[in-house]
Amino acid sequence: MHQLTALLLAAVLLLGGCASQPQWPEHTGSSASHVIDGVPFHPQEAYQCGPAALATVLNHRSVASTPESLVDQVYVPERGGSLQVEMVAAARAHGLLAYPLEPELGAILQEVEAGNPVLVMQNLGLDWWPQWHYAVVIGYDRGRDRIILHTDTRPRHSEPIRPFLASWARADHWAMVMTPPDRLPATARPLPWLTAASDMEELGQLPLAEQAYRTALARWPDAPAARFGLANSLYAQGEREQALSQFITLTREAPELTAGWLNLATLLARRGCPLAARHAAGCADTALPEAPAPRGNTAACPLIHCPAK
Amino acid sequence: MLYQRLPMRRVAFIQILAMLFLACMPLMGSADMIETGSVVADQQLQHDREELRAMLDRDEVRATLERMGVDRAQVSERINNLTQQELASFNEQLSQAPAGEGVVGIIVLFVLVFIVTDMLCATNIFSFVRCIN
Repeated sequence: MHQLTALLLAAVLLLGGCASQPQWPEHTGSSASHVIDGVPFHPQEAYQCGPAALATVLNHRSVASTPESLVDQVYVPERGGSLQVEMVAAARAHGLLAYPLEPELGAILQEVEAGNPVLVMQNLGLDWWPQWHYAVVIGYDRGRDRIILHTDTRPRHSEPIRPFLASWARADHWAMVMTPPDRLPATARPLPWLTAASDMEELGQLPLAEQAYRTALARWPDAPAARFGLANSLYAQGEREQALSQFITLTREAPELTAGWLNLATLLARRGCPLAARHAAGCADTALPEAPAPRGNTAACPLIHCPAK
Repeated sequence: MLYQRLPMRRVAFIQILAMLFLACMPLMGSADMIETGSVVADQQLQHDREELRAMLDRDEVRATLERMGVDRAQVSERINNLTQQELASFNEQLSQAPAGEGVVGIIVLFVLVFIVTDMLCATNIFSFVRCIN
C-alpha cells in the first residue's frame, strides 16, 4: 500500500512536471494580463492574412491603409501568401521601422505591455505540411494562459498559450514590431535598431533614417554607429556643415572607429581641405604615430587632431 | 637656354607640389563615403564574436572542451574565422536552446564545424580526421 502510494505520488509528480513546463517567462514588472485598446481590426479575405495583419499594425500607427491597398505590395498570388521580407519592406515604405524581436515569449509580452502590437508569423500546420499565417498579438492573460490576437476573421481572439507557442516556434519565432523612427520598441537593442535604420538610409528614406539615428543616440549615447549613421544621413541630405560637425564629434568620442576618420577625410577633401583630409585619414591608421596637425589650414578647414595613443 | 636658368629650388618646389597633388588624388575625388550599413554589420560581427567568446569562458564549457581535447586557443582562433552568417546561426542555436542545454549544443556544433574544416584542411585539430587532399 505504501509502495503504491509512493508510486502514484511519483506518477503525479512526473505528470505535474510535464504539465507545468514554464510557459510564461519570469518577467518582473510585467502585469498578469494586458490588452492594447483600440487596435483596429481587418478581417482577412481568402488567404490574405498578410495584408490584413499589416494594415492592422499600420493603422495603429495612424498610417492610413487598407488590406486591399496592401495586396499589391505584399501578396504573392502564386504562393497564396506574403513573404516576411515584403512585410518589412512595406512597413518601411510607409515610414515605419520594422524591428525584429528576440525569439522568446518575454519579448512579445514586454512589447504588448508597452503598447506595441506585435506582428507574428505562425505555422498552423506541420513542419512538413506548413500552413503559414500572420496575426497580430494585442494582449495576454497569464491567469487564463491565453494570448490575445487579431487573427483571420476573429478580433480579440483569445488563444491558449500552448498551441500559440508551438505554431510560433514552427515559424522560427518570427515577430516584429513596427514603430515610427522616433519611438524605440520596449525591447530594442542598439545594433538591430541601427540595422533597420541603415536599411532605411540605404533606400533613400533619409529624414526617417536621420530621425531613427537621433532616437538611437538619445537612448544609447555611446553607440558610435548611431552618430556615424546620423552624420552620413545628414551628408546625404546636403547638410554638409552639420555632417562635418557630427563626424568631428564622432572621431573625438570614438577615435577607434576607422570608418569615422575615413568619412571625415572624404568630406574634408570634397570641401577643398586636402591637408586636413590627409591628416584625418592618417588618424584612421592606428599604426601611425601621432602626426602634428598640419599648418596652413584656411579658416574654412577645421584643424584635425589625432587622439594621443 | 631658358630651362637651364630655372633655379633648382623652383624645380624642386614644383616637383613637391606635383607629388603632394598626386598623393592627395585618392582623397580628392574618387573616394566614396563608407556606408552606415557596413559599419553596423561590422559591429554586429564583433558583438557576436564577443558573445561566443564569453561563452567559452564559462566553466562547464571549458571543462567539456578540455575533456574533448580541444584547445581553447584554437577555438578562439576559429571564431575569428567564422563569417557573420555562421556566427549568427551559432548564436541563434544558442538562444533557442533551453537554458542548460545550450552549452552542450554549442560544443557539439563547434566540434562538427571543426571536423568539417579539418576535412577541408582548413584546420588540423582532430588527429583522427584525415584531410581530403
